[in-house]
Parts: sequence; structure tokens; C-alpha cells
Amino acid sequence: MSIATLPAPNSVQLGLIDAYNATRRYLIRGKRQPDIIFGSVLFPVIFVVLFGYVFGSSISVPGGNYHSYLMSGLFAQSTLFASSQVAVAVATDMNEGVIDRFKTLPIARSSILIGRSVSTIVLGLPALGVMILCALAVGWRPENGIFNAVLGFALIELFAFALSWLGILAGLIAKSSQAADVIASIPVFLLGFVSNVFVDTSKMPVWLRDFADWNPVSAVVAAGRNLFGNTIGPPPSGVWSLQHPEITTIGLALLIIIVFIPICVRRYSRTSR
Amino acid sequence: MDVSLDVPAGSVCALLGRNGAGKTTTVRILTTLLDADGGHAQVAGFDIATQADKVRGRIGVTGQTATMDELLTGHENLEIIGRFSHLGAAVSRRRADELLRQFDLVAAGDQLVKKYSGGMRRRLDLAASLIANPEVLFLDEPTTGLDPVARSEMWAAIRNLVARGTTVLLTTQYLDEADQLADTIVVVDRGLVVAEGTPEQLKASIGRPSVVVTLVDADPIALEKVRVALGADAAIRGRSVTVPASEGLVSLGEVVTLLERLAVPVHEVGLEHPSLDEVFSTVTHRPGEHVTGEVAKMPA
Repeated sequence: MSIATLPAPNSVQLGLIDAYNATRRYLIRGKRQPDIIFGSVLFPVIFVVLFGYVFGSSISVPGGNYHSYLMSGLFAQSTLFASSQVAVAVATDMNEGVIDRFKTLPIARSSILIGRSVSTIVLGLPALGVMILCALAVGWRPENGIFNAVLGFALIELFAFALSWLGILAGLIAKSSQAADVIASIPVFLLGFVSNVFVDTSKMPVWLRDFADWNPVSAVVAAGRNLFGNTIGPPPSGVWSLQHPEITTIGLALLIIIVFIPICVRRYSRTSR
Repeated sequence: MDVSLDVPAGSVCALLGRNGAGKTTTVRILTTLLDADGGHAQVAGFDIATQADKVRGRIGVTGQTATMDELLTGHENLEIIGRFSHLGAAVSRRRADELLRQFDLVAAGDQLVKKYSGGMRRRLDLAASLIANPEVLFLDEPTTGLDPVARSEMWAAIRNLVARGTTVLLTTQYLDEADQLADTIVVVDRGLVVAEGTPEQLKASIGRPSVVVTLVDADPIALEKVRVALGADAAIRGRSVTVPASEGLVSLGEVVTLLERLAVPVHEVGLEHPSLDEVFSTVTHRPGEHVTGEVAKMPA
């Protein structure tokens, strides 16, 4: 029988088609696991309510309510949790025979991983939507107009995409999904909590404050607060990354993407059960 | 390990060996999943190291473990493999339909693979390997762990492919599977090729047939009498005496004449050809171990 009557596409086009097909595959799979989507939606709801009222009742932010201060932090933090979930999922993938089959097919080596990271962002959108609704319900408002709000979320999602590649690398390095969970959880907690997500860093001990100020997550949170117009409370400390949080976020995300995609693809090509 | 292979186009070659003999490693190298430490190999005319992508476009692989996605339906699994083989969405869907028919999976086509039985999964796996009409097909232990019915269905499916001229490299630890399906058998042990040939050549290589004299009961005196009469090469095995038959039927006739004079109660006299099992034990120099090995690795 005859196959392929169309003119042969070049390798870049083929690579894009492969990545599209891989993404499609992960989206179909995602749709079949409603429990995971449900969990990913429930988690941020609990966070908004819990942290908002638990911390909010003892933290007072001059000039506004704590929820306004907190939400950018929770949006940014959710990207960390998503990347640790990617790590676990990739480690699980790598222990399945299906990846071996994909490696014997004439597809771009990057396509499966790109499919994983893009589908993570897409499948995370319902959770982001629910989180925004919860935030609105507890009194958070984007005060800088819709355009800046959209820009803020775009930055956060860009950062999420970049972080997903760190998650992928952790998943590829880990020998099992449990190990991936451990490897990925440490940075998630360190970067997520030693930051300006929940509290102003100025009252932390100096060594901790330096870490928290330079923590990239703090820059993402600060960028969100700027773009959402939630700049209440004390001004952020004077470190460069917090003075220019938008540029820091974009630059760092691009740097991670440029550096870590090739590393992940190499690692994926060499990983063999 | 060090394995040399030459499989002519359109033929079936079986790599036969125990667990850990190096069969799967060989297949993983030839299917570009593993890099070889040295040496070189061509698959469908392309070098596995420098033209891996060309090789990948021409092979089908059915691995030892299930490689189908449990969360997708049979049809979706086939379609995605077709898309990844660059057939395009429409052709992939059409090929998926054809293969589901060919492998008797039409009714299960829209079911999630996690609901499939072991035999259905293997057939789907084999179907997936064929979606792009590969020139060379690798089957790594295609029937390990299957029940006898599923196994013979799998054999029928493989024979069908062979009839269409696909070149097949098959690995197996079952002698009868190699005997049934393969044109040539390559016996590997501890990473080395220890014997090679057609099933008939291999059987002939370890020697001549034997004449087996079975007595009515295991009477040691009668057995000893027969053994002495049959000469120095004869050996007692249970209630039988075995002697190599240098000239086949001629020897058989001589033995029968001899037995008439001995006046012992004979149950049966016959000619026994060496089995592939004996070939295997002989070439791997571990007689008897094969059987215990099989029992030990049976899944609970």
C-alpha cells in the first residue's frame, strides 16, 4: 500500500507535528484521569481559604486585606507544586514500556517531553481558573486593569512552563516516582516558603532574608503584585531582582527553558530501563 | 557480550536463550534503544549508530513488556503510533481500523486497554508494530506469560506476517516456539552465540539418533543384560536402555535381532531423534539446568 503522498515536510515541521501529537496524547490521558484534575482544582481552593484565613487572621497588612497581598504568592506557589507533580509523572512514564516504543519510532526526541510540559500547562488551566474565582470570592481584586492582570497571569504561566522542565529533569534523574517526589519536594518547600509568598521578608533573620529576597519565586510574586496592583504593605527590599521583578521573571524563565530543554532531551535519549 | 547475526530479508531468525542470555540486550541495541559498546550493525540497510532515524522509520518492535497506553483505547493507541510514524492522521486512523480487524480486536477497539486481557494486549502490541508496514520486525519474547490459547493465536498472527514476507527477528526462551516459527535459530548463552543453523541442522549437529529399548518393568538384572549386549556405548535410563544408532534403521534391525536371543520381556523398541531441548543443553554445556531454571522462574 502507498503511504505519504504529500510532499515530505522538513525536520522542523515534523518536530512540531510530533510535539503536537505528543501533547494531544497527554491531553487525552489527562481527560481520562478526572480524579487528578479534581485534586488539582481542590488544592488551590483549600490553599486560598486556609492560608487566607489562618495567616490572615494574625497578619495585618497596612493598606489592604491580607488576601490581596497573599494571592500573587499563591498563584506563584502553585507553579512550584505543578512542577513537582510533573517530576512524579515523568518518573512514572519512564518506567513504562510505552516510552521504549516511542524511542523506536522516528519522532523528534524532544516531542514526548514537550508534550508533557505543554499538556501540564493546559491541564492546569482549570485549576488556575478556579483559583482566580476563589480569590475573587475572598476579596482579591486585580486593581490595575484587565490588560495588566492578563499579563500577570501570562508571566506566571511562563514561569510555570520553565519550572516544568526542572520537574521533568528531576523525573528523568529519579529512579522511581517516589524518589522523584522527594527530589522535587525539597525545592518546592524551600523556594515556596522561604520567600515573600506569605509574609514580608524584612523581619526575617539576615541570612534567611537574603535567600528569600533573591529567591526567584519572590520575583515572580513581586511581578504579580505589581501587575495586579496589589502593592500594599511595606515596599519590597532593594535587591535588583525585586526592583525589576517582571524582567527577572521573563529572563529567568527563558534562561531555564534554553538551558534545560536540551539537558532534558539528552537525558531522555540516554535513559534506558 | 558479543553476538554476530545475519538475517536474510524475508526470513525469520530466532534468538534462543535463557533469561539473561543477552537476547533482549541484542534487540535493544538493534532497535536503537541502547548504544553498543563496539562493533557495528545494519538494520534494513542502515547503520544503527549513524542512521538511527532511518532505522526507526523501517522497523517495528514488540517488546517484552506491554507498551500500550492503558488510558487510551486500542484504536487510539494504534492511531498515535501511526501519527508518530508520520503517516498523518487520516492514514493512521484507517490503518488502525485495518489492524484491529486483522488481529480480531474490532469489538475491543473502543475499549480502554486497561480492560484488555494479556493475549489481547500482546496482539494490540503486535498490531502497533505493523502500523507503518515495517521492513524488519523485532519480537522480543512475544508469547512469554501467555496462556496456551493466546500463545497459539499469537503464533498464528506471526505466521501470517511471515507469509507476507516481513523479515522477523524473534527472541524466545521456548524451544518449540523457535522450532515452530523460525527459519534459522541462533542459540545465545551468556552473551555469546553458541550454535546457529536451521532447526534440522541443529538437531543433526549434536549427533545421531538413538535406539531405545524399553522393558516391561525395571528389572535390574534384565536391564544389565541388555546393556552388556548392546555394547560399551549403551546406557540405562529408567526401565530403558539407550544406545547411539550409528546407521539408523540398520542399527534398529540389529538391536531387534539381538534382543530375540536375550529372552527378556521387551515393552517397546524404537528410534529416538535428538530434540531441540538436548541441542540446547549440549551447546550451552549446562545439561539439566534448563528444566529447573524454567520451574524456578514461573510466576506465582
